[in-house]
Amino acid sequence: MSQMIKKVLIANRGEIAVRIIRACREMGIETVAVYSEADRDALHTQLADEAICIGPAPSTESYLSMDRIISATIISGADAIHPGFGFLSENSRFAELCEQCNITFIGPGSDVIARLGNKQEARNTMVAAGVPVIPGSKEPVYDAKEGAKIAEEIGYPVIVKAALGGGGKGMRVAQTPEEFESSFQTAQKETQMAFGDNTMYIEHFVQHPRHIEFQILADSHGHVIHLGERDCSIQRNHQKMIEESPSVAISEELRRKMGEAAVKAAKAAGYVNAGTIEFLLEKNGNFYFMEMNTRIQVEHPVTEWVTGIDLIKEQIRIASGRELSYRQEDVHLTGHAIECRINAENPEKGFRPSPGTITDMYLPGGKGIRIDSAIYSGYTIPPYYDSMIAKLIVWAKNRDEAIRKMRSALGEVIIEGIDTNVDYQYGILENPDYIAGNIDIEFIEELERARKEA
Amino acid sequence: MKLENMFKKTRAVSGRKGYISLRERRPEVPEGLLRKCNKCGSAIIAEDVKRGYYICPKCGGYFRVHAYRRIEMIADDGTFEEWDKELVGENPMDYKGYPEKLAAVQEKTNLTEAVVTGKAEINGMETVIGVCDGRFLMSSMGEAVGEKIARAVERATKERLPVILFACSGGARMQEGITSLMQMAKTSAALKRHSDAGLLYISVLTDPTTGGVTASFAMLGDVILAEPKALIGFAGPRVIEQTIGQKLPKGFQRSEFLLEHGFIDRIVEREELKTVLSEILQMHQESGRTYKRGAASERDAALEEQMEALAAPEEEELSAWERVQISRMKDRPVGSDYIQTLFTDFMEFHGDRYFADDKAIIGGIARFHGRPVTVIAQAKGTSTKENIERNFGMPSPDGYRKALRLMKQAEKFGRPVICFVDTPGAFCGLEAEERGQGEAIARNIYEMSGLKVPVLSVIIGEGGSGGALAMATADEVWMLENSVYSILSPEGFASILWKDSTKAKEAAEVMKLTARDLYKAGIVEKVIPEPAHYTVLNLEEVTDRLSEGMDRFLETYESMSAEELTQRRYERFRRM
Repeated sequence: MSQMIKKVLIANRGEIAVRIIRACREMGIETVAVYSEADRDALHTQLADEAICIGPAPSTESYLSMDRIISATIISGADAIHPGFGFLSENSRFAELCEQCNITFIGPGSDVIARLGNKQEARNTMVAAGVPVIPGSKEPVYDAKEGAKIAEEIGYPVIVKAALGGGGKGMRVAQTPEEFESSFQTAQKETQMAFGDNTMYIEHFVQHPRHIEFQILADSHGHVIHLGERDCSIQRNHQKMIEESPSVAISEELRRKMGEAAVKAAKAAGYVNAGTIEFLLEKNGNFYFMEMNTRIQVEHPVTEWVTGIDLIKEQIRIASGRELSYRQEDVHLTGHAIECRINAENPEKGFRPSPGTITDMYLPGGKGIRIDSAIYSGYTIPPYYDSMIAKLIVWAKNRDEAIRKMRSALGEVIIEGIDTNVDYQYGILENPDYIAGNIDIEFIEELERARKEA
Repeated sequence: MKLENMFKKTRAVSGRKGYISLRERRPEVPEGLLRKCNKCGSAIIAEDVKRGYYICPKCGGYFRVHAYRRIEMIADDGTFEEWDKELVGENPMDYKGYPEKLAAVQEKTNLTEAVVTGKAEINGMETVIGVCDGRFLMSSMGEAVGEKIARAVERATKERLPVILFACSGGARMQEGITSLMQMAKTSAALKRHSDAGLLYISVLTDPTTGGVTASFAMLGDVILAEPKALIGFAGPRVIEQTIGQKLPKGFQRSEFLLEHGFIDRIVEREELKTVLSEILQMHQESGRTYKRGAASERDAALEEQMEALAAPEEEELSAWERVQISRMKDRPVGSDYIQTLFTDFMEFHGDRYFADDKAIIGGIARFHGRPVTVIAQAKGTSTKENIERNFGMPSPDGYRKALRLMKQAEKFGRPVICFVDTPGAFCGLEAEERGQGEAIARNIYEMSGLKVPVLSVIIGEGGSGGALAMATADEVWMLENSVYSILSPEGFASILWKDSTKAKEAAEVMKLTARDLYKAGIVEKVIPEPAHYTVLNLEEVTDRLSEGMDRFLETYESMSAEELTQRRYERFRRM
């Protein structure tokens, strides 16, 4: 059997670094934390067996500094790097450097990261593997008549997009064939004005979709399994706020279909380690591949809870060359898990970050409650990094109970000295649409709109 | 709460002893993966440096580039054809150990000499290229270096190709004594012939360019570019410090310093270099060709009508003083607005090559309806800060000398010159007198009168005296409706003649300084109507008219021979 990793350097900070250190401690693996000058008192710095300062506060000079992290790894004698999420976790160049230096990168190979990081290439890989993608014109379209024909093939509603587009300019939706011509012309005119170009693309418009993602695990022996879905539709500006598993929108049958597609996608990409395939799920049950995340994700605890599988430990085992501990038939989703991200921010002031010192705090506990966090009483949240300070995860035997448990738990969270989004989260948990499971990716946007009007 | 040393560590938790790695290969950084930046001292990934134009990703500092790498960065793939690769020099002073030293350097660098020359294409345009390589005896200019450059330039002259030389040198090659000194003359003389043949030479100065190279081919470009922060100078900083016995200021002899002192046209980032070189080559390739002109003729007739209407008095006539005030309005469009609106691909060139780069004058090359032209504008600012920087549009002698340099350049390459005049007057100051304001103005008038290419001057605001004429000794001078052009400001006029500068208003009325007065007097050829409240917002009403007129102007004057052109210009002023 291949040699287990003995010492891991965690190239990250905050709660995920702590989460990884904990998994390592339980496995008897020694840990090396790296920290910036702003993180001297951070939990991950103190909890790890060793800690190495890698530079000043700005992440470009510390947590994103590849050469410094590599140097720290070599100096400390670690044999592997866990990149966590964000920072260098999906940087193929960094993974490649690890490979060149004979350091085990806990994640997929650099070539796989590079391939999946390129939108077009990832899409092509999925099309070739038979994974559904959003249907769209392959060639640029210049003319409304020609466009109408393509739109018919793609299926309404469609969205007309500027080839050079961005910022919502030059984009128009046509719900029906009757609307198409005027939508196309308006979009093209806007495109001409904004970009001095009239090249358009047409795509199927996925209306009010849910964000559904599938967790997969793949070992280096060719085994790939999926661990069911997470529904991450509650998001603001593409930042997820609440995630849950399973999704109310997914039947056993659909889970099987999407799970198979996810496994196919991972196999097509030659994927090894833990990864996530993101789909958009339409109301009628059609789903489309969006992208594959080649790292552990923030919301991994909900999957851990409903499957009973420790994803970080599996990552380390896979990186050590071991076979998966589970087969697909061993995976069952039991009960319901929900995660709320607790951020140091002020929802009343446009979700403005609120760094500062936590003067007092109390966090809930008890059956079915998990907190992944790196804060403690007296901790000063530095202004340089992400504002997420804790994840509150609950589990109960069904969704209704889980929602009640989450409300109860949120009601116990006391964090003094800074602003948090706890009350905002509480509001969502009381929203009738949320309770009814009636959600899509525009949920928060609509909530905000309603709030402003009120 | 302090957490320091509070937690039990993994070994205690797991009860395990320390370990010895059993893996065959322990993590290590392979040779050559990392390198050290000699500017900021930090470790950097060698591959990133290579991919990033040899620029330190940490501090942005520039690494010196080997000759062949430089060619790769500039030339189209596979187009470089090397010349005189085997050419080597001798040991003219029989300097002991020199041949051995050369052999050792050749062995170490895999180069035969300190410069690589040949022919290449840049975005499809053929050019002769020469690149110094600092690894070879600090690219000092020995006989072989001089010879290779001279031959390359001679061949460029013969084949009518432009030349681009990348300078990087410690100067003369001491081991070759006086022979090395003569290379300065050899290379310069070859470039003179190349220039006399009307051909383009672009010099690119890289870190370091010093000594005999600076004092010869490096400083002779029609266009001189430099990489940021390169050391450029004649005497090395250490020598200067020893001689004068004091410490040199920070940034002394760096590219930025030279730009400020008028010796280089532009500082170009390495990533941009190929694009900039290509644009310059392109502009110079097209010179002398014929261009499709807009259907200006009929529309121009309409303009004539408008002008005539203007010449006739209207009911609500503005007084001369009112026009003076309008010409000085803060929100009136300035020189740079016209450059932006009327031209495309404007590339600003800096410096007079003597003393400074005067920001009161903006000049460079651009395209007008696809055709390369030289554009020079007296530049007021649009904010107080910019106005201070541009000295409120009052040029110093350096500004006039820059304008003249660009006009002579235009003449060499057969480009028409278009000037925009907007100045209260040439700068009156101590420094301006020290550097010869009068001489600079005189020289411009003198040289412009004989310039062998069409020259058009448009007075867009204030046409203040000699300071204006130094950019208006043209084939035609046009004025915007509310611009003024006079011997002196009305304030100055009142002060001299009436000893009372507060009588400026009365002075304005008698000075005949409005566009209409001057048109009637035959001093200017055209008056361009302008909207009631003229700002950048309605700038196009004026530039559209200007543009039509300029098309017509170029059509007329470009068809004339140099003799005819200068004769007409001579007569234009002769009769005044």
